Amino acid sequence: MKNREYLSFDVGEDEAIIDAVEAKGHLLPIGCRYGGCITCAAKLLEGKVRQPNGTALNKRQSSAGYILLCVARPKTDCVLEVGVESHDKLYVNPFSVSGGYVPPLKGNKK
Amino acid sequence: METTEAECCTGPGYASPQEAIKAPKEKVVYTICIYTGTGIERPDYLATIDVDPDSPTYSQVIARTEMPTVGDELHHMGWNACSSCHDDSEMSRKYLIIPGVRTTNFYIVDTATDPRNPTLYKTIDGEEIKKKTNLSAPHTVHCLGSDIIVSMLGDANGNAPGGFLHLNKDFEIMGRWEKDITGMKFNYDFWYQPRHNMMVSTEWGAPNTFMPGFDLEDVGKGKYGQQIHFWDFKNKSIERTVDLGEEGLIPLEVRFHHNPDSTHGFVGATLSSNVFHWYKDDAGELQIEKVIDVDAIDVETFPVPMPGLITDILVSMDDKYLYFSNWLHGDLRQYDISDPSNPKLTGQVWIGGLLGKAPVVNGQAIAGAPQMIQLSLDGKRLYVTTSLFSTWDNQFYPDMKQAGGVMLIVDCDNENGGMTINKDFLVDFGKEPNGPARAHETRYPGGDCSSDIWV
Repeated sequence: MKNREYLSFDVGEDEAIIDAVEAKGHLLPIGCRYGGCITCAAKLLEGKVRQPNGTALNKRQSSAGYILLCVARPKTDCVLEVGVESHDKLYVNPFSVSGGYVPPLKGNKK
Repeated sequence: METTEAECCTGPGYASPQEAIKAPKEKVVYTICIYTGTGIERPDYLATIDVDPDSPTYSQVIARTEMPTVGDELHHMGWNACSSCHDDSEMSRKYLIIPGVRTTNFYIVDTATDPRNPTLYKTIDGEEIKKKTNLSAPHTVHCLGSDIIVSMLGDANGNAPGGFLHLNKDFEIMGRWEKDITGMKFNYDFWYQPRHNMMVSTEWGAPNTFMPGFDLEDVGKGKYGQQIHFWDFKNKSIERTVDLGEEGLIPLEVRFHHNPDSTHGFVGATLSSNVFHWYKDDAGELQIEKVIDVDAIDVETFPVPMPGLITDILVSMDDKYLYFSNWLHGDLRQYDISDPSNPKLTGQVWIGGLLGKAPVVNGQAIAGAPQMIQLSLDGKRLYVTTSLFSTWDNQFYPDMKQAGGVMLIVDCDNENGGMTINKDFLVDFGKEPNGPARAHETRYPGGDCSSDIWV
């Protein structure tokens, strides 16, 4: 984990990353534990993971490199940026981005 | 406050809304404080806030009741008993039921033994609820007599439409309350009016959709609701579903008149930022009409018009005023609804918001905007907090995770209309001992304008 002084963990191929982290007594953001709520999102800087139930991330979030630690299982050695401080690209104000669906909202000039 | 309730009656609450209005002024209030999504790995907690202007600790958090688990996202809460069992001397308003929307854990908190320092009485494990009922993501808690009903927004895996959880008065899981949810695509808030055998429920989205944040693509794909459901309350089944159409996108908070003989009620369509009114006409036919329309605003540099986002609405105990918050624009509004088909705007204040109209209030920089509101029983003091939901906060008001939330009081003129921000009251949750916390729903020990129902 790059932003935790490169703390490292041995994670089994079929083990969720958060389980290995918590087993060593470390705390990271966590919520639903089934891949549904995004609280545990982390940025994958290097490596590959398998996410059987990673339903909460949309395409934009996935292509920005985010994974969910409660469901992600490593396929290779991974380098991660974790915690809320890694969430800079996770959230956007949807009214501030173009190119997507525009709901039927009547606008008035400010 | 508990003694006052006991003096006036046999069971909890009040004989009527008119009696509730005459209750003594609230001295403390309870507010949900949230660390989920702030970077502080501590459990969420219930804050007790001193709101007695004569007290030396006025406008301060005087107790913090911490839950045992990190990451619950405490959200809404309800009482074990309200005016709906006013004639049942076996019951008392003693416990707040506080669910975690992300974990489905339920916390039962005793507020009666020491109202100034509530304590955790019992925990119901979310995994047990999921296993027994295939429901998750609890939202609104209402009691009915000695029973407790909770709207649940998803199945055990976070898919729509969810359903309703039934707990008994000892907080044991009885199973699912409803018999039939045919037509319900999603679940959210509900309110009932027993003298007319009516219940109304609304639609947000599946937990797997709204938990990660708000994406307009999901609206386009039909993953958010636009229907409301009128229930046959006794039969626990949906009698009629109304599609509110493109002016009724994401109907969330729903309120009946407090008068138990009335069939009138209101729902805020959050994304469309319209308020709809319903009632049964003289022939007993259900009528529903849009009565308030908040225009979206074209913000410079934003390609999509930004709606007000009506995230909470509330009706005063005398049924004369409707209040709501525009969480993106940053204003709170008061409407005279003496004629419920023709609401008249009578008051408006600005607190924070994305339009930049009130970045500082009472000397405090506001990271957020008016969101949850709770009104005193006498209709004069509106308590306002600023957080909506951790992931949505992080999208629209990312500074809130470092700055924390606030609570303000807006003084309401309930004779001639009008609102002003109280200059003497501010709770800055940015200064909490364990770090900045978000602040969400508020309740009063003696019942409030969104808890009590009369049978």
